[in-house]
Order: sequence, then C-alpha cells, then structure tokens
Amino acid sequence: MFIHNFKYSLKTLFKDKILIFWTFMFPIILGTLFSLAFSNIEDSEKLKVIDIAVVDNGNVVFKNVFDSLSDEDSDDRLFNVRYVSEEEAIKLLESEKITGYVLAQVKPKVVVSNNGINETVLKYVVDEIIEYQSIVSNFLASSMHEIRLEDIQMSEFVLDIYSEVSKKMNEEVNIHDISSENLSYTMIEFYTLIAMTCLYGGIFAVVSINNTLANMSFKGARVSVSPTSKKIVILSRLLASYVIQLLGLVILFLFTIFVLDVDYGNDLSLVVLTSLVGSLAGLSLGVFVSSIFKSSENTKTSILIAFTMAGCFLSGMMGITMKYVVDSKAPILNKINPAAMITDAFYSLYYFTTRDRFWFNIISLVIFSVILIVVSIFSLRRQRYDSI
Amino acid sequence: MKKVIEVSNLTKEYKSVRAVNDISFDVYEGEIVGLLGPNGSGKSTTINSILSLLSFSKGSIKIFGEEMSPNLYEVKRNIGVVFQDVAVFDELSVLENIDYFCGLYIKDKSVRKEYVEDAINLVGLLDFKKFYPKQLSGGLLRRLNIACGIAHKPKLIFLDEPTVAVDPQSRNNILDGILKLRSEGATIIYTTHYMEEVEILCDRIIIMDKGSIIASGTSDELKELANIEEKVSVHISELSDEVIEKIKSLKNVEEVNYNGDVLVVIYKKGEDNLVKLMDFLSKNKIRYDKIFSERPTLNDVFLELTGKELRD
Ligand SMILES: Nc1ncnc2c1ncn2[C@@H]1O[C@H](COP(=O)(O)OP(=O)(O)O)[C@@H](O)[C@H]1O
Ligand SMILES: [Mg+2]
Repeated sequence: MFIHNFKYSLKTLFKDKILIFWTFMFPIILGTLFSLAFSNIEDSEKLKVIDIAVVDNGNVVFKNVFDSLSDEDSDDRLFNVRYVSEEEAIKLLESEKITGYVLAQVKPKVVVSNNGINETVLKYVVDEIIEYQSIVSNFLASSMHEIRLEDIQMSEFVLDIYSEVSKKMNEEVNIHDISSENLSYTMIEFYTLIAMTCLYGGIFAVVSINNTLANMSFKGARVSVSPTSKKIVILSRLLASYVIQLLGLVILFLFTIFVLDVDYGNDLSLVVLTSLVGSLAGLSLGVFVSSIFKSSENTKTSILIAFTMAGCFLSGMMGITMKYVVDSKAPILNKINPAAMITDAFYSLYYFTTRDRFWFNIISLVIFSVILIVVSIFSLRRQRYDSI
Repeated sequence: MKKVIEVSNLTKEYKSVRAVNDISFDVYEGEIVGLLGPNGSGKSTTINSILSLLSFSKGSIKIFGEEMSPNLYEVKRNIGVVFQDVAVFDELSVLENIDYFCGLYIKDKSVRKEYVEDAINLVGLLDFKKFYPKQLSGGLLRRLNIACGIAHKPKLIFLDEPTVAVDPQSRNNILDGILKLRSEGATIIYTTHYMEEVEILCDRIIIMDKGSIIASGTSDELKELANIEEKVSVHISELSDEVIEKIKSLKNVEEVNYNGDVLVVIYKKGEDNLVKLMDFLSKNKIRYDKIFSERPTLNDVFLELTGKELRD
C-alpha cells in the first residue's frame, strides 16, 4: 500500500506542470538572471577602493588586516584606510569623506551612516575579522591553557606571541583571504536561491496533503472512505514529495556550480545536510499551510510562494544589504524565517571556519520544522469533520 | 432480508443550518434505494454522515450490522463511493486513475488488473484507457469518476448524483452500469434530484426535503400519495375563459390550468377521462394539436407533500 501510493504520488507530482515550473524551472531562470545582473555589478564594483577610517584602540589583528587590505601595491586593494581619533572619524563620516569607521577595540564596532554595498562590505570584513579573532583565541586557549583573549592583549610580551600566532594561523587555517576578488557579495543571492527552492518544494506537500484530507478535496474523501490508513497515505505521499524536492535541488546545485560558478565552500557533506534540512523545512511549511488553512489548492500554493518570496527577500535575495538590516535591526525575523536560516547556514559554511553559527541555523531549521509538523498533526489526525 | 444499512435518528447540523433532521431508514441487501430531493435537501450530508466523513450531533449508523466508525477497515473494504464532484487525478490516465483508487482496496496486482479491466468495460471507457481526464467530455469524465469508486467490486455502493450535467448517452450508460452492478449482487444507494432516474432504477425511494424524510416507498406506493389519478395535457392555441369554465364543471375534473398554449386538466378519479375531454372539445369545435394523458409523477407527489416543485 505504501509503495502503491508512493509510486503514484511520484507520477502525479512529476506531471504537474505548474509545480515543476515553480520548483525546477523558476529557480534556474532566476539564478540565470541574477548572474547576468551581478556580473555587471561585480565588474564595476571591483576596482573601487572604499574610504574608511580606523580608530585604533589596541586591537592588533584589526590593524594587521586593514593594513594588508589597503596595501597600495596589491591588486586586491579594498580599502583606503586612515588611522584617526574617534572625534575625527565622526567628522569624516559626517562630511561623507569615508564610508564608515571601525572602532578597533576588544569588542570591535562598525559605524556607518548609510546602507549600501560599500557599508555592507565594511561590515562584512569586520565580521570576518571578529570570526578570525575568535579562532585565534580558541587556538591560543587550547595551546596555552585557558588564557583569555583580553588577558593576552594586556601584556606587550604576549602581544608579540599573538601576532606570531596570527601569522601562523593565516598560513595554517584556511580562513578566506579577504580580497575584492574573493569577496563576492553576490554569493548570498545564490544561497537565497537555494533557500527559495527548498521552501518552494513545500508546494508538493501542499498538493499531497490537500489530496489526502477529506475536508479539503473529494480525492481526499476517496482516501478517507477506503480501508487504507490515512497515516500510510500521508507518509508515502510526503516521502514522494521530499524525493522530488531534493531532485529539484540537485539540479539547481549542478546548474549553479557548473554553469554559474557558485561556490558552496569545501564541506560537501554539510552542504548536503543543509539541503536536506532546508527541504524538510519547506515540506513542513507545505504540510502546515495545507492542513491548517481551509481553502483551494491554488490559494494555499500562493500562500506558500508569497511566504517564501518575502522570506528570501528578507534574507538578502535582492541584495545583501537587506540581510544586514534584518540581522541588526530586527533579528527576531530570522527566528521565524526559514529562508534566512538556510541562507545563513550556507553563508556561514562558506565564510566562516568555525561551525557554531552553522549548527545554530541547522538546529533552528529543525525546530521550525518540528513545530509546524506537530501543529499540523492535530489537524491531520482528524477523521470526522464538522463540514467537508 | 438482511439489513445492510441501519440509520436511526440521524441529525446533522452545520454551524447554523440543520442539514439533516432526525431521519431513520434501513437499506436491505440487493436493493437499489433512491434518495430523492431538491438541491440542499440534505442528501449528500446524509451519505457523508453514513460514511463517517462527517461528525453528527445525534443518531446511529450501522453498516453490515456494525456501528460505523472511521477505523472500521473491514467494513470500508466492502464499500464503494462515488462522490458528487468528480475526483480524479488530472495527471493520471483513465487506466491509472482507476488502478490507483482500486489499489487503495486491492493489494494483489493481478486481481487488481482484472478488476480495473472490468470497471473500464462497465462504464464503456475501453477506447479511452490512455486518455487523460482533461481530454474527456463531461459525460465520459463522470463515467471515469464512477469507475474509480466501484472498481474494487464493493458489496455496498453509494452514488451521489452521478449523472449531474451528463449527456443522454452517458446517462444511459451509467444507469445500465448501475443495474449491472446490482445484478452482480451489490446493494446501492443512489441520490439524485431527477425523478425519472429513480423511477427507472430504484426499488425503493426515499423522498427528502429540508433535511427530513417526507415519504418513502416504491414508486407506485408513493404515487398513491399524489392524490390525483390522471393528468391530461392538450396543446391548444386559443381558448376562451368561458370554455375553461365549462371544462372545470366537467365530471371528475379537479383542476384546470391554461397558459395560452397548453391546457392541463387534472382528474381526481374516474375512467375514460381522456375520451370524454376529446368529445367535449370536438363538440365545441375546438381545434387542438396534441393530446395526451399522464399518470401522476413523483413531482406531483412532491408537489402534493411540500407545495413546491421538485425541480427548481
Ligand atoms: N459545508 C457546509 N457548511 C454549511 N452548510 C452546508 C455545508 N454543506 C451543506 N450545507 C447545507 O446543508 C444543507 C444540505 O446540503 P446537502 O447535504 O449538500 O444537500 P443535497 O446533497 O441534497 O443537495 C443545505 O442547506 C446546504 O446549504
Ligand atoms: Mg448533494
């Protein structure tokens, strides 16, 4: 009975042209458009050097990094850095001589006055350095028995070691070199594209559930009057949905990797895990929308698509700036936005060498899915309805 | 005779409407029972309550002697349902659709193959096996809908308005199919608002209106309730009020209606009413095109019982 349902489910879902368009074709079309649009932006942005100021409050790592990024002899020159006092920095920012300034202290801070690509790049670089610093400090902590970063910075002597270690780390740890070449802020758009596809996959679950519940469709009523348990029908159909969802994702991955040159980092197994969990979130979303709302299949599909689009927009689909705005101004949105979780998981896989942020996203996605499924189960379990 | 369905005091309310109001009836093995009533009279609600799809406020339903419940798989295995709306997969062919739904009942593949063939033959879709629902006309689609519901050879079949908006050819095919299913031993519950169908098809008729059963019995038994004996219709293009008054005073005449085209004379009882009316017309030199006599219909019964027409 399971196999029978599974087989026919695959067949019906695959042949549904509208579903296949949204989940297989649309992301590829969108990805192609992105890459066309961004190839222009990136070319024009590449040569620009960003004017910034650094208020040096004794964070050596910061100084090192900014020095190397503003090396005039380097092709990868990203910044034009001035080292100034905080008052001066504020003045420079007000007169728009600089994009922003960095307070290079124990807890570094970026101050900008606008939101744009340049500001985003600056913030990104600082994020990266902080991340890098924590790796160093972890490294030190493990090799020097629990000496905290703050303590280290106290003494001149340790400072030396610190910069020595930093240099070493630069060679040993494969932290991304921050250069205008590698700093592709369009990568995030492609990650949102994957997130979108994961969530769009929920459409298959919408259709599957709609066709299984007696209060949603007469096809569902047929299932309900048959001697086959609804549990089996639901599980087999959802498994079929999941399989097709993943297939769509595989195609998109192949397309983005081989045609659009998108880089997902080196850890393939974690990329796969993110896809599996991301698709699960999409599936749960589909199950939820389909079992909770009593409306036509089209309406439900539209709800799912609208939610996904809004989610992807907030995670930076139309520009990484949006992601920063949400991250800093309304982080709560990221807690309920699976698109942000998926995007951020890929983002942290690619940009960060530590995995804390990655796992946080994965766990968030799992929690998101479990909550939706549990809520849906109450509705799915019903056998008799007040009205059909 | 064995009771297949026992419905006692079934009452079902939607939020504000009492759709089924304290109805009780039994269905016996091998019968075709017709549930006849205008749209909104509660037929579908009754069927869906019997099938445990709807929760209901009062009453009990027994099928094959067992209190019906959603988990009664052994009972459900022997039930076939054709819902009022077409419910098939657009992405599957005729053959696949039937095979899919049959597969919810029959595990064995070779048995299923045979059953699916039988169902296709029964509804006459042999030439359309590979067609997709979108390619079928309304009538053929209805036939597919029926095949999907009965392919597993159930002992008890529910058909909810299976002939709505169907061309005459498909309608005949469907009615023939239903008679064939009965001859193979199935018990059938058939809902419709077409009185002609229940007259042709049903051994027993239950007439519903506004959620209640207002009469039940065989077609002949019900017609006794109509309280009229004969209805003569005459096509006349012109008729004076004076003549109409004269006709009203003829023997046995109960009621006379003239709409400028057709004269309808209703008789309560008596014999040779038609001949006597023809005599009267020729004596008065009234020319007419067509004249015929009818026995009362179920519509007349409905009219008598509710004061309104069955057809809306
Ligand atoms: N889902 C529903 N919610 C509220 N009222 C309903 C619903 N379904 C049917 N009704 C009402 O219940 C009554 C009986 O409907 P139904 O059983 O569909 O009649 P029939 O099948 O004889 O046309 C009607 O008045 C109808 O408007
Ligand atoms: Mg109905």
